[in-house]
Amino acid sequence: MLTRRDFIAKGTAGAGLVMGAPSILKAGPAGTAQDPIRVGFIGCGKQHEVLFNAMVNIPGIRFVAACDIMKMRLGRTFSAIKGKFDYNINRYFDAEEMLDKEKGNMDAVFVATPDFWHAPHTIMALDAGYHVYCEKMMSHDINEARDMVAAMDRSGKLCQIGHQRRSNPRYRYVLNELVKKNNIFGQIININGQWNRALSSSQDIGMDLVDNPKKHSMLPSPEVLRKYGFDRGADRELSEKELWHRFFNWRFYTSLSGGPISDLGAHQIDIFNWFLGVQPKSVMASGGRSYFKDREHFDNVMCVFDYDTPNGTARAFYQVLTTTSAGGGYYESFMGTEGTLEMSEREAYTNIYKESGANNGDVWNEMVARGFLKKEAVGQAAGGADAIASYESAPPDKYALPGGLSKPPHQPHIENFFDAIRGNDKLTCDARHALESEAPIYWVNPSAEKKEIITFTDEHLHT
Amino acid sequence: MANDNQEKDLGLTLGMLTLRIWLAIRAIQSGVEKFAGTGTTAKAVQIDGAANEYGLTEAASYKAYAFSNYQGVPGPLYDKFAGEPLIPGWGLDLYNIILGPALLILGFTLLLGVATRYTLFAMGLLYTSLTFGLILIKQDAGVAWLGTHILMIVAALALAKYNRFAILKKW
Repeated sequence: MLTRRDFIAKGTAGAGLVMGAPSILKAGPAGTAQDPIRVGFIGCGKQHEVLFNAMVNIPGIRFVAACDIMKMRLGRTFSAIKGKFDYNINRYFDAEEMLDKEKGNMDAVFVATPDFWHAPHTIMALDAGYHVYCEKMMSHDINEARDMVAAMDRSGKLCQIGHQRRSNPRYRYVLNELVKKNNIFGQIININGQWNRALSSSQDIGMDLVDNPKKHSMLPSPEVLRKYGFDRGADRELSEKELWHRFFNWRFYTSLSGGPISDLGAHQIDIFNWFLGVQPKSVMASGGRSYFKDREHFDNVMCVFDYDTPNGTARAFYQVLTTTSAGGGYYESFMGTEGTLEMSEREAYTNIYKESGANNGDVWNEMVARGFLKKEAVGQAAGGADAIASYESAPPDKYALPGGLSKPPHQPHIENFFDAIRGNDKLTCDARHALESEAPIYWVNPSAEKKEIITFTDEHLHT
Repeated sequence: MANDNQEKDLGLTLGMLTLRIWLAIRAIQSGVEKFAGTGTTAKAVQIDGAANEYGLTEAASYKAYAFSNYQGVPGPLYDKFAGEPLIPGWGLDLYNIILGPALLILGFTLLLGVATRYTLFAMGLLYTSLTFGLILIKQDAGVAWLGTHILMIVAALALAKYNRFAILKKW
């Protein structure tokens, strides 16, 4: 059986031979309503459930196989498909076996495994001739992410990375219509983004099974977990409880994941880079184990990226907190000279403001008249005894997008993947474009650890 | 065959008929509402007079009735009742099943005038059972509201001898 370590070594060597092959973003015709795209799953955990629930209403697909090292999860996926569609799928404990045995019976796989398995699973699936949808981050290691791009190039298969905002109609509309075509925000100079998560949502998971000996039979054995690399980075032999903890809480370990800045920040920092259309020039970060002192990753990270855009320089601040939820949830805020966009995957956190002295007021008015924007409220001065009016800017007018998304947030991204397989569309976030955007994120933790500004070179960011 | 005890007084006859119709409609529509649910539609946002090309949608909700929507005891109330030690779980589940159909059956029998006295008495018992639950969860306004229903039922029973336009007048 191929181990993860063996696989990466072989895969990287192979990739070196075919560097320079073109990246194919749009596959040839395959799969119709009568001839459905046949789908398999590698990884049947929580994120798999999110993806599955987002695709149950997409026509023209048929689920054929699933793989997970935990029998209970595999059974849950089998039952969900049986219950919803009334047919059986093939079940596997090993991904390599699934990819081998399903040859000719499967067109595409969804990889929703721990971050340190993204690259091996994606590369082996691409090399086996399958189209791949892989969850973000591409990997916990930028070199493995680069290997994924190389595998996409040499295989000629599609590789969509799960930055689902890239296919979200709201995000695409704002970028194309409001930012690019009509430039209503003016020069975007400052960006803020955050994901604030409460302690209650940041606790260890799976411990109800780990701490209950009667339920240990439901868990993968220590031998299986060692075989699949859950002991990576440990300097001694781990106990079964330590292995199980890593199995459920791989996000806390530096050798298995990129930590909160990767888990939560990647989605939003991707939006910074996508909207600005450039990669940052540098990153300056700070972080600490302020509450979860035993975790390998920082529980709170703050960072500042510097950009040099065609419209001038800009700075983006991002914070990920796992100890406090207050402060507006998660959003990306683009602050321009004429207006501000507070964008979020959640419509409730999305707001648009026009500066009181905006020079392009006529453009805003025209956008409202034509249905591009809705005007919600005229800015109202707060007033009150504590207001020092002469120091304050006049309040901005508030606007809203004219519509929203009536599907689960991941569905458009998965639809785009299937449309590309059918040859009807191009991927909105293929592995190369995903890595262009993800690459700066890999340097946040090193900057925070060293307490140094990292100025990016091609060495840092190349794909 | 006319009821032996039936009396003729136009005002009281119309009064009884009004009470019957009110109580019947109240029960029938309450029963029907147990099958109500909310659906949503999404239509493409119009920009420059045409559907936008991005897939932006405007959601609109609407009310719809279906057997699959049936919920005898509304969810929030069900949860509260489930926490009451004097209401056994099996009893609550049974009540949840029969409440809607019971309201519909009693409403229609009252409206059509089938065994009006016994129907009114059964309706009174049903509202009393609802009152019992509301007392437990301290919903005093609801208790008072149901008490009003009980008074109307008593009034209807008192006027039963003026009941006309009924299919089965005997009981």
